[in-house]
Amino acid sequence: MSEFSLYLLQQLINGLTIGSTYALIAIGYTMVYGIIGMINFAHGEIYMIGSYVTFIVIAGLLGMGLVSLPIVLLIVLIVAVIVSSTYGWTVERVAYRPLRGSNRLIPLISAIGMSIFLQNYVGLSQGYRDAALPPQVVGGWTFGDPAVFEVTISYMQSIIWIATLLTMTALTLFISRSRMGRACRACSEDLGMTNLLGIDTNKIIALTFIVGAALAAVAGILLSLYYGVINPFVGFIAGLKAFTAAVLGGIGSIPGAMLGGLILGVTEAMTAAFFPAEYKDVVSFGLLVLILLFRPSGLLGKPEVEKV
Amino acid sequence: MNKIAKKLMTLGTVAALAGAVSVANAETLKIGLAGPATGPVAQYGDMQKIGVMAAIDDINKAGGINGMQLEGVIYDDACDPKQAVAVANKIVNDGVQHVVGHLCSSSTEPAADIYDEEGVLMITAASTSPTITEKGFQLVFRTIGLDSLQGSLAADHILNSVKPQRVAVIHDKQQYGEGLATAVKTKLEGNNLNPVMFEGVTPGDKDFSALIAKLKKNNIDFVYYGGYHPELGLILRQSSEKGFKAQFMGPEGVVNSDLAKIAGKAVEGVLATAPKSFDQNAVNQARVEAIKAKGEDPTGPFVFTAYAAVEVMTNAMKATGKTDPFELADHIRATELDTAIGKVKYNKQGDLTESTFLVYKLHQDGSKTPAQ
Repeated sequence: MSEFSLYLLQQLINGLTIGSTYALIAIGYTMVYGIIGMINFAHGEIYMIGSYVTFIVIAGLLGMGLVSLPIVLLIVLIVAVIVSSTYGWTVERVAYRPLRGSNRLIPLISAIGMSIFLQNYVGLSQGYRDAALPPQVVGGWTFGDPAVFEVTISYMQSIIWIATLLTMTALTLFISRSRMGRACRACSEDLGMTNLLGIDTNKIIALTFIVGAALAAVAGILLSLYYGVINPFVGFIAGLKAFTAAVLGGIGSIPGAMLGGLILGVTEAMTAAFFPAEYKDVVSFGLLVLILLFRPSGLLGKPEVEKV
Repeated sequence: MNKIAKKLMTLGTVAALAGAVSVANAETLKIGLAGPATGPVAQYGDMQKIGVMAAIDDINKAGGINGMQLEGVIYDDACDPKQAVAVANKIVNDGVQHVVGHLCSSSTEPAADIYDEEGVLMITAASTSPTITEKGFQLVFRTIGLDSLQGSLAADHILNSVKPQRVAVIHDKQQYGEGLATAVKTKLEGNNLNPVMFEGVTPGDKDFSALIAKLKKNNIDFVYYGGYHPELGLILRQSSEKGFKAQFMGPEGVVNSDLAKIAGKAVEGVLATAPKSFDQNAVNQARVEAIKAKGEDPTGPFVFTAYAAVEVMTNAMKATGKTDPFELADHIRATELDTAIGKVKYNKQGDLTESTFLVYKLHQDGSKTPAQ
């Protein structure tokens, strides 16, 4: 292969990696929006909490002398998902449920407040400084001619792809096959009607927050292992990017969030590959504006029908 | 916990003072300490605090200044220009007339305007952007060299010692980082070494894989990074994971132990320009021991520049017998002062006449040694 195609491949790999994690976080935004039509701005902070739990658990387990990586990761996965889901559920219960039925703007402001609260709560308890973790998964595969250009896929990148793929498959099966999933779909079609048909919609909404938070926790684990550095503000940028991905793919649509995340990640990597890296946000957000101009409901979103 | 304990003690003292109705307003002179106590670069704020508090302790033990005891008051600007302006206004409202700070150049610049206008003497121990003093302030000084000097020192080292083939200059698009990166680039170009790449990254970004692939494709063998340690740390870490090997170099904004914490082994051998290690100076040995005895780290690059900032103020106070900022400023400009960073002399703008930087090699245990 020529240098150019190898370079392109390397950037595609980089873009898909970051895009997968955007997609995982984006699902939390899109599921909540699909059901109650609200943007949960505190979702990025749930991801951040997932990252902190990962750090604390890994540091704790290594401190206790447990070194088997698969076992450590399994424990991290369980603890981070449980803790983050608890936070996701609590946020909904405390900050959003009491406001259900009020003007749309009010839960939005409550969400922003929750986001600032969580940032500072973690900052005060864990410190505002960067926390760092030494690389846990090192090494990777390389191919291509070293004299031309060597493509690297690190083990961590492949773990991110596999974990994202498994999580997405599990979510798709859950939504399309299970009773709870059917109830979720019903709620997103018509919340009031579903309630009338005897389904406890409050429970379904809480479930949506729990599932979204669990996926954000998975993203938190993957990214904190990948980058190894976190601070209480990582949730803000990650949340913004994921929210963009959700809107790009069509907010309310789960496949749309997956697609939007991947497109955003690849666009960023390709922009940085062929233009100065500082233009990557300009191009990816420019793309968002363009898509919204021509397809206001996003790539896979359904146009909102005004119900009379 | 320590902070809370301190706060409680202050509260206790206040209560005690309030109890004893007319205790004569004990003569204390407040020194404002402005810099990041929180936020991503809080570590530099700690260095400044360690230096200032050590200086204040030493001076108080020696009887204070003109019969007054000094007291350091911490103001947190989180290295955010907006918050820096708010902090500066608060300092003015609190009646504090002498400030050590701010730290990040982008915070110092807007704050300096306010201090100069409101008659507050400000000495920054860490801000290196040339534009701060360009406006011709009367009350603004520093105890650290300028970016332009630091950038040209870095470029000289690149040209004379490293002699790389293909150079990339990367910066974080902020006043400090881009200013330095531009200074380095200009000097390299002036010596016929044209950087192959000159690019910015977004501060706070975590993923630099696309940038690293590009560096690799362009066969870069030397990277100069203008900015702070969180981004450089990640770039180093991801470079080593992705098999990109080049010599990296940064300014003093990357020199601290957090860099090694983030990047681990990848820090070994990274070059950086930093203020001379004043903690090695013979005159400072007793001070180093005193700081160590408090359980603090005396090796940070801003510890002794901050110490010297207090000394510049207090030496002038002793010599003039006054605390009026304008008279102090006149004295500081006119006289050579003896401080922890050696003899300091100021030009009209309030800048040091001699550079205080050296090129260092960083190590993974967080230490540094002078580079050859």
